Amino acid sequence: MTVPLALIGGLVGQVISAGAGIGIAAAVLLAGLVAERFLARRVAAWGYAERREDLMIRRGVLIRRLSVIPYGRMQFIDVTAGPVERSMGLATVRMHTAAAASDARIPGLDTAAAAVLRDQLAALGEAQAAGL
Amino acid sequence: MTTPFPDAPPLTEGAAWHRLHPLSPFVRAGRQMMSLVIVLFALAVLNERQARGDVVIDAVVIGIALAGGFISWLVTRWQIAGDVLRVETGLLRRDSRRIPLSQVQAVDVSQSGFARVLGLAELQLRVAGGDSERGGSLACLRVAEAEELRRQLLALAGAARRPARAAEAGVAQAAEPGAAEGTAPAGGSAPTAAPTAAAPGPLAAGPPSADSAGSLAGDVREAAAPGRQLFRVRAGRLPAAIVLTASGVRALVIAAAAGLTVQLTGSPGVLGPFLPVVLGVVLALWRQFNGEYATTIVAAPDGIRLSSGLIQRTAETIRPGRIQAVRLVEPLAWRPFGWCRLEVDVAGARQRHENQAEGQRLRALIPVGSRAEADEMLAELLSCRPVPDRRPPRRVIWKAPLGYHFLGWSGDERYVVASRGRVSRQTTWVPLEKMQSVRWVQGPWQRRLGLATVRLDVAGKRVSAKVSDRDAAEALEILGRLPDLARAARARAS
Repeated sequence: MTVPLALIGGLVGQVISAGAGIGIAAAVLLAGLVAERFLARRVAAWGYAERREDLMIRRGVLIRRLSVIPYGRMQFIDVTAGPVERSMGLATVRMHTAAAASDARIPGLDTAAAAVLRDQLAALGEAQAAGL
Repeated sequence: MTTPFPDAPPLTEGAAWHRLHPLSPFVRAGRQMMSLVIVLFALAVLNERQARGDVVIDAVVIGIALAGGFISWLVTRWQIAGDVLRVETGLLRRDSRRIPLSQVQAVDVSQSGFARVLGLAELQLRVAGGDSERGGSLACLRVAEAEELRRQLLALAGAARRPARAAEAGVAQAAEPGAAEGTAPAGGSAPTAAPTAAAPGPLAAGPPSADSAGSLAGDVREAAAPGRQLFRVRAGRLPAAIVLTASGVRALVIAAAAGLTVQLTGSPGVLGPFLPVVLGVVLALWRQFNGEYATTIVAAPDGIRLSSGLIQRTAETIRPGRIQAVRLVEPLAWRPFGWCRLEVDVAGARQRHENQAEGQRLRALIPVGSRAEADEMLAELLSCRPVPDRRPPRRVIWKAPLGYHFLGWSGDERYVVASRGRVSRQTTWVPLEKMQSVRWVQGPWQRRLGLATVRLDVAGKRVSAKVSDRDAAEALEILGRLPDLARAARARAS
């Protein structure tokens, strides 16, 4: 993604002068690499663990978060896939509790894995349902 | 009774359909109507040489609005069938709503100023997990009728809930809305209907009236029994307290600035452009005063009864199990007087027409009161009361220099309490059985200092107890222990 963008930037810069083209290409390349590193760290920080009675989700690089959501508290589960996600065969699983503040989502799951996880969580939630 | 729906016979034999009070369109349209009339009147006065045609147009506008209200009243009807309240309304877009009484969290009676003049009241049914759209409202009924119906509905709701508790003893609060609501709102109450069919039968037969009260089930009389009064806000204290809050101080500053400007320029006309701002501040203060005036708390067998209001009066009952969090606020300006404010967060209590800011504000049990009164109320609300005496490590002063002195937390097997705040101290108690999820959060500053924050989320208006700035290892330990403690507390509560 970064390299083609840098190439395009360089070509556009060539219209002005050779030096500007190289400069723009280098800047785009650098910015892209930095962004990629940030993204990679963010993705790497995201993880979840299915424990016996609750789900644990870890995320964040700068601000680290570790959430514990008991299965019994889950009200419903969403599986969403935006156009970009769909083109890559990915989906996001999101759990909702009665509390609006508890934000528990697991992005970037394989579509099939997401469906399996959803069914699994739904079954666990039903078995341990606790309501309000 | 002539029914406008010949093709829709009642589902349950013997359960009659009822109408709302014929004057209700006036009350429902009251506010819009008033402003419309005022605008039209002002226009008429300003335009003395108004053509006759304009008056006719005004009359037609008012007439159409009234006719719309009347038609809406005509096609609205309600019925208690078994343990379900059915409300049907709408002429073009039919709206038929079934509210299973076992899922009702509370029944509130509210009266706008106009409704009070006419002796009417609105009945609101609160269902958890959403706004008032999910519940229902009956606007308007006669006051006595509304009170009677409220008692009847609460008794039916209690009766419908109890057998479910007994049957599903293992599953915590299964009959409560949260569990069944998401999937099947109506189905959730189906199993509970059978064992209680005998009890609500005679109740559903006729409209609630004063003389039928004697023949109602024991629950109704029990619910009707007057409780003991826990608190009543002092009328003199409330305005002073409101003025001393942040928004009150802001209003004073604005008033002073306005006075100064007029003094300096000598013409009040320069204030014209700022009028909307001033009006907004004054209205917000007025709304708070109007809403919290004469707050009275009564402990009754079915929960805590709360009634308040100067012009618009509301009365609601909070079942003990409905409280998600209790918060004690001590603003800086109140401290010399030893005043504090006690709020509760309840599930499913979103008022109609409320905006974002009002949604964040909690229902105040004590709008302003002394510490002793608050302690008494807390003892009523919480079975035991841990004090937030576990202080954060000393190094937190580098991260939160202003907030350090109020930070603290504590917890036992029932509650977690956390206190925080810079100039106004907020202490939040959360019953562990109400905890929905726990989060451990660590920002960059906290990481450098080896700190972390633990948040407990509850089902309410985004209020969560925040155990701020603990040692990172301690925070992790809290995170590890809380889910198990909460599970034990839930098991105990059911």
